[in-house]
Amino acid sequence: MIDTAFQQPDEQAVADRFVKDGFVTAPADDRVGLDRIQRRAAELAADYLRLPHSNEPQELLETIHSRVSPDDLNGLRMHVITGLNAEPWLRPTYFRLARSTIETIVGNELCMQRRVNLSIQLPADDSSLLATHSDVWSGDSPFEVVVWVPLVDVFRTKSMYLLPPSVNGEMQDRMASLRSAEELYKTIKPHLVWCEMPYGHVMVFNQTLMHGNRVNEEKGTRWSMNCRFKSIMSPYADKRFGEFFEPISLRPATRIGMQYKLPGGFHG
Amino acid sequence: MAERAGHRGYIGARPLNGSRTPQHVQNIVIRDYARRKNLQYLLSAVEHVMPGSYMILEDLLDELPRLRGIVCYSIFMLPPDENRRREIYDRVLREGCDLHAAVEEIAITSKDDIRAVEDVLLVNKYATILS
Repeated sequence: MIDTAFQQPDEQAVADRFVKDGFVTAPADDRVGLDRIQRRAAELAADYLRLPHSNEPQELLETIHSRVSPDDLNGLRMHVITGLNAEPWLRPTYFRLARSTIETIVGNELCMQRRVNLSIQLPADDSSLLATHSDVWSGDSPFEVVVWVPLVDVFRTKSMYLLPPSVNGEMQDRMASLRSAEELYKTIKPHLVWCEMPYGHVMVFNQTLMHGNRVNEEKGTRWSMNCRFKSIMSPYADKRFGEFFEPISLRPATRIGMQYKLPGGFHG
Repeated sequence: MAERAGHRGYIGARPLNGSRTPQHVQNIVIRDYARRKNLQYLLSAVEHVMPGSYMILEDLLDELPRLRGIVCYSIFMLPPDENRRREIYDRVLREGCDLHAAVEEIAITSKDDIRAVEDVLLVNKYATILS
């Protein structure tokens, strides 16, 4: 037996958990950065609703259902996410929230989705639900992971669900005999895990597993952001390099390798 | 009866007629079509990449009682089987909705419109395209 492993024990533990459970949650690597994102989201929401900026951003976000109707929700969502994506610091900060986990699970030569997404689930609102799906089914590469960041505490139906790897394959095999995603949800429901975490934590999950959300039956509004990361050189699917992903950490050895040409001119 | 929402977009991840269009471009085309036709666009659903799967379309059909209609990116996203397509047209009209295709700029708002749409699909099936 060798006494020195290639991976640190804590890295190996994270990797093992990701493979076994399909997700890993951890405190944000950059808590100040997370608070900055949360504060800016609350400011943009307040601007849209013509409210003064709040010193309690989480309180404003969690109670936004008392100030916006489901009909106006997409307008609010678009205003906030467009404003956030316009901030040049957003994507580097978002990456830094989960950098250590991403690098453990994906690698350290990465590309990142060009636009970070935002979901808002008002209590009892069924107008903006994400049916059971795997991102791969709609054109993502199975080599991607999703970094999912709640801007409020999330638990039970105020969070998202994930089907554990231990049953995902078996359920996928049944899929072709089912008519709709709702039927699929009913089939997998007994096996689902709800991903619970307080504000301040982030989650990296395996988007090849079935996941989605249901009507938020809790008291507060859910705000969560998501963004995809993958190893630059791993295979792409319909979400292509350039139009959907852009590099964030191309290393010198790779740059050199891509430009290298063997000596030519031989005629022997 | 509760007020119905607008028109749900329907985009895909499979190539159509051998061509691939990025999903965000499909959404731009639908959004533009909806704006010009004065339809209220609702966030698109994305059909599965697996060949032959129409599970997302079935979900949209289930949602029809709460919608005014569906805007497909292209009419060629509909199932290749004519009987299955006709079931879809019937269901859309029975629910008091309509079905649009943004690229082809055609719509089924009544039974009278079905033939024109089917003509497009049939001609495409039999006519060749010079390369």
